[in-house]
Amino acid sequence: MNWNTAVYIVMNPLFALVLSPLVLGLIKTVKARIQGRPGPPVLQQYYQLRKLFHKEIVYSEDSSFIVRLGPYLGIAFMLTASLFVPMVFIPQTGWFGNIILFFYLMITAKFFMVLGGLDAGSTFGGMGSSREMTVSSIIEPVTIMSCAALAFVLKTTSIPEMFRTLLAGSIFSYPTLILVGISLFIILIVESARVPVDNPETHLELTMIHEAMILEQSGPKLALVELASGVRQTVLMALLINVTFPWGLAGLAGCASLLLAAVTMAVKMLILAATVGLFESLLAKIRFFRLPDFFMIALFLSFITIVFELLR
Amino acid sequence: MDFPEFSSGIEDKEAVVQSLFWVGGALCLVATILPLVLLFRPSRLLRQAALWVLLAGTGAISAAAILVISRSLDLHLTLLSITPQLALSFRLDKLSCFFVVIIGAVSFCAVIYSMTYIAHYKSERSKQFLASGLAFFILAMLLVVASSTTFGFLFFWELMSLSSFFLVMFDLDKPETQKAGIFYFSMTQMGTIFLLASFLLLYRFTGSFDISAASNIPQWGKGLVFVSLFIGFGTKAGIIPFHKWLPYAHSASPSNVSALMSGVMLKVPIYGLVRFIIDVFRPDLWWGIVLLFFGSITALLGIIYAFKEHDLKKMLAYCSIENLGVIVVGLGLYVIFDFYGLRVQADLCIYGALFHTLNHALFKSSLFMTAGSVVQATGTRDIEQMGGLIKRMPGTGAIFLVGACAIAALPPLNGFASEIMIFQAYLTSFSLGRPILEILLMAGLAALALTSTLAAACFAKAFGIIFLARPRSGAASAAKEAPFAQLLAPGILAALCVGFGVFSYQLISNVKSGMPLPDMLPIGIIVLVLTGVTFLLLLLTRSPVRKTETWGCGIPSQTGKMEYSGDGFSEPIVTVFKPVFRTRKLSTREFYDKYNSIPKSSSGEIGTLKFFEERLYVPIARFFMKIAGAVSNLHNVDMDALILYSFIAVVLVILGVGWWL
Amino acid sequence: MMNTGITGDLIEVLFVLILGTAAFVITQRALRSLFTLYTIQSVILAAIAVVLFAEHRTVSLLFIALLTLVIKGFVIPAFLRRTLVVLPSKRDIEFSYLTPASSILLSAVLLFIVYTSFSNVAEVLFSDRLFFLGGVIGVSLALMGMMVIFSRKKVVSKIVGYLTMENGVLLFGLFIAEMPFIIEVLIVIDLFMLIVLSTIMAFGIDSSIEAFHKKLTQLGMRFED
Repeated sequence: MNWNTAVYIVMNPLFALVLSPLVLGLIKTVKARIQGRPGPPVLQQYYQLRKLFHKEIVYSEDSSFIVRLGPYLGIAFMLTASLFVPMVFIPQTGWFGNIILFFYLMITAKFFMVLGGLDAGSTFGGMGSSREMTVSSIIEPVTIMSCAALAFVLKTTSIPEMFRTLLAGSIFSYPTLILVGISLFIILIVESARVPVDNPETHLELTMIHEAMILEQSGPKLALVELASGVRQTVLMALLINVTFPWGLAGLAGCASLLLAAVTMAVKMLILAATVGLFESLLAKIRFFRLPDFFMIALFLSFITIVFELLR
Repeated sequence: MDFPEFSSGIEDKEAVVQSLFWVGGALCLVATILPLVLLFRPSRLLRQAALWVLLAGTGAISAAAILVISRSLDLHLTLLSITPQLALSFRLDKLSCFFVVIIGAVSFCAVIYSMTYIAHYKSERSKQFLASGLAFFILAMLLVVASSTTFGFLFFWELMSLSSFFLVMFDLDKPETQKAGIFYFSMTQMGTIFLLASFLLLYRFTGSFDISAASNIPQWGKGLVFVSLFIGFGTKAGIIPFHKWLPYAHSASPSNVSALMSGVMLKVPIYGLVRFIIDVFRPDLWWGIVLLFFGSITALLGIIYAFKEHDLKKMLAYCSIENLGVIVVGLGLYVIFDFYGLRVQADLCIYGALFHTLNHALFKSSLFMTAGSVVQATGTRDIEQMGGLIKRMPGTGAIFLVGACAIAALPPLNGFASEIMIFQAYLTSFSLGRPILEILLMAGLAALALTSTLAAACFAKAFGIIFLARPRSGAASAAKEAPFAQLLAPGILAALCVGFGVFSYQLISNVKSGMPLPDMLPIGIIVLVLTGVTFLLLLLTRSPVRKTETWGCGIPSQTGKMEYSGDGFSEPIVTVFKPVFRTRKLSTREFYDKYNSIPKSSSGEIGTLKFFEERLYVPIARFFMKIAGAVSNLHNVDMDALILYSFIAVVLVILGVGWWL
Repeated sequence: MMNTGITGDLIEVLFVLILGTAAFVITQRALRSLFTLYTIQSVILAAIAVVLFAEHRTVSLLFIALLTLVIKGFVIPAFLRRTLVVLPSKRDIEFSYLTPASSILLSAVLLFIVYTSFSNVAEVLFSDRLFFLGGVIGVSLALMGMMVIFSRKKVVSKIVGYLTMENGVLLFGLFIAEMPFIIEVLIVIDLFMLIVLSTIMAFGIDSSIEAFHKKLTQLGMRFED
């Protein structure tokens, strides 16, 4: 465990934690401006989190240790997953990086959220949990196919290795990654519960998927859950950015290069956030049982991407 | 594993192993006989003593197996030699002892579990039979995997099937148990016939009954033997389309027997497949494709069928089918990669499949045991009647949660550790060079991904509906925690699940170094540290905690009817996969007259089409019934016809003698 | 003989995108988005022709690209959108024989089958690997268009399916070595179009083939049923 690894273990999750409320805030502002209203201030999510940490925690009488323990496990698994996607610099260690392990750590965090939704015995929670697991199951083949496509093109299953390979090549050496980028974008939309899959701003029971699961959380636990969702979004965005446009990522951990890399990544992240906000404003939410058709198209696209790679 | 070599040399170790093996076997045999002594005055003391003896027996054999694995020995022992060809001999090498350890360890915990579980049955005499049958079943399974001749293999296989049949038929008075038992028996006998056919073919080609490398087999002979082996082993392992007996048998039998059957008996055919593929034949490519195809379909359909079940044990049985499918997929991939010479991927697949066998045995038996405690406490197997059990049975609930996380392939537990080996093999297989095969592999990868997330969804449903929220019936609210033995046994298995998951990289590196696998130990440590840090940070905020009732939109008193039900939870997925669950509408009408104008009675039914049962099994069964009917008609004739048959038979024999000799 | 270099990769990306639009056409229910998808498809086709021109410098390719862009990118969609005004319902939600999800599964299988079958005759018909891929994609696109025709009820969607088929045949023709073959295929396809047009002109554009049969039965021209 050398200096490089220690800095990486502290810095990467911290970067994700600090940046995620800003990203969420920017998406909300972009959507609001397109809808013609001023919208909340961009730093609103930070104020929201600070407020939640001061509120009381309310537990239901029917709930068990799951709802008490769930948020801790959720944020712990999500921050561990954030260690797998280098955002500022690529570490020397080989401990983290397997792409399948990355996605499955996120599924574990989701699993405990789903159990928490069922714990209080309310109908909304059960409904949200059931839909979340359905959507998560159906998008999984697309996710694994995109992992396979990345592994085929870049000849490795370790995410830091992939970024290193991409940095060493030129912008035109892997053009099929544009297509993988499209699949990753769809996965980003699904995992961070954005329109057209799920509306993160609704609280009507017939239209919520992710929000319904966390209805029973309150106070600091709710802050942890929101942070976990934010980190998930940030980390997936980082993966998408670094796969399609990795320049700016530092190969070494010098102080000046770190600062430059952090600023570059923040700028790229905010541009992608604005794009996501724009994309959300252009589409309407798809009906729940039309989602499998939509995912089938995404699966078809990633399948033929891999087929093209194989038939080269 | 590196143990310091003792100065006494290898022969001493062999002697120790031999003696442990025979002693263990003898103890199990004693445990079989003991409860049956003094049957007219069934004694609880004798039964408990028998269970302890069985514990010692399984412990001894497992110790022998562990010694063999750690020292990499290869022993040949003989029990009985009828002729030099037909002998009941055993071979203890690393592969068979791996399976012996699996069987022994899980049986050890199952026996601990049985110590208090058997007590709740009513009839004293049947309890003695249960204890005795358990011992015999375990002994038979241990001897099957240790056999080194096909003769011995088949002999102990039959003993295993017979003893498990009697154990399944334990609750004789219920009609569903009878149906389950007969179904199981006929399916397992069919499998045995195919095994017998393949062993006889093997004897014809190689001239010996030994399970060892076979050469000089013509190509068509190899293929034929493989197909009948696959059908024979596939029937016992629950590969689709031979799987139908599994849900019935597992739900009808007592829970300790289900744990043994699902956790251990399903692994014995896997041992058979692995042994024959690795040691006996050099497999062809199409074998791998067949295994991959049937394995993927089994995995996918198994978990999809599991979703609709609200009988707890049937759901667990279908999940077993799914995991067996994953293991067969691993075997198929091994054959394919081995054929093309991709050593790293082939190693990943075979070790992944074997590791998954071990892991499945651990977590499935743990799940069945906790499920048995739940069923015993609430008196029903229906998930929809349970709920809120985590407050009443916290220990059972926590152990079930660990098992559910393991089977849902959540890192860093062992279910994920073995599945990632197969995923890693898929993802690094880009150097095959045959695009068509690679496209098939990609389809298999998509199916595997879908299967593992559906398993997570299924167990989120199972754990959530059974243990969380409010009780849905009076029986559930009156449930009590299980006795200590019924917590200890699955608890040991659950702890092993966690251990094997977190230390998976270290374990696999000891067995075979250089495999490109992620290390789970740092992950586990980091998760623990982060959880602790967050917990401490939250304590600093000193938020007040308040308890109130769940928000129910203002309804003053909430009952169990307001929570989500199991059927509701699985409804979206069932709707998405609707083509798999076909519904069948049946309507019958009876009339008084022949012009069908005065109705007498009518009935209508909408149900799930049991596809394999109705479209595949029943027509085959009817066909055989017709043949059996025709044959029995031949019997019901008078004396003269019988003499006529003998006359024809004698003439044919004379002709045969003249022609062939 | 692999056409390496940036143009080859760019064309491959465009191939995947064109198959993506076809997959969307199979599942879309709103008629307006069907027309938008068709426009995008034609634009991508024109782009492929332009990239091929940049590689091989054959002027006829530029001509084809221009023609495709103008007629299929602007004129036909404009005409279709004008006919949309008279339709009472702007959605086509019924599917016969195949659900959208199974159609996409079938398209993947068909792509695979076409590839396997054509790899035997690849050397004769196509000049290099990229062209072979282009031919396979063209045929797959045509097959997907045919799937749209038989699985949708409304005639307007069938027209879009036919147009997709024609795009596919054009794509196939761009990559194949022998040109005259293409003319025969185009004639057969135009016959399809005649039937569809006659339905529209006889019974109105929002009818379906069933209404056609019903009318024929009423007029006594069909003897079954």
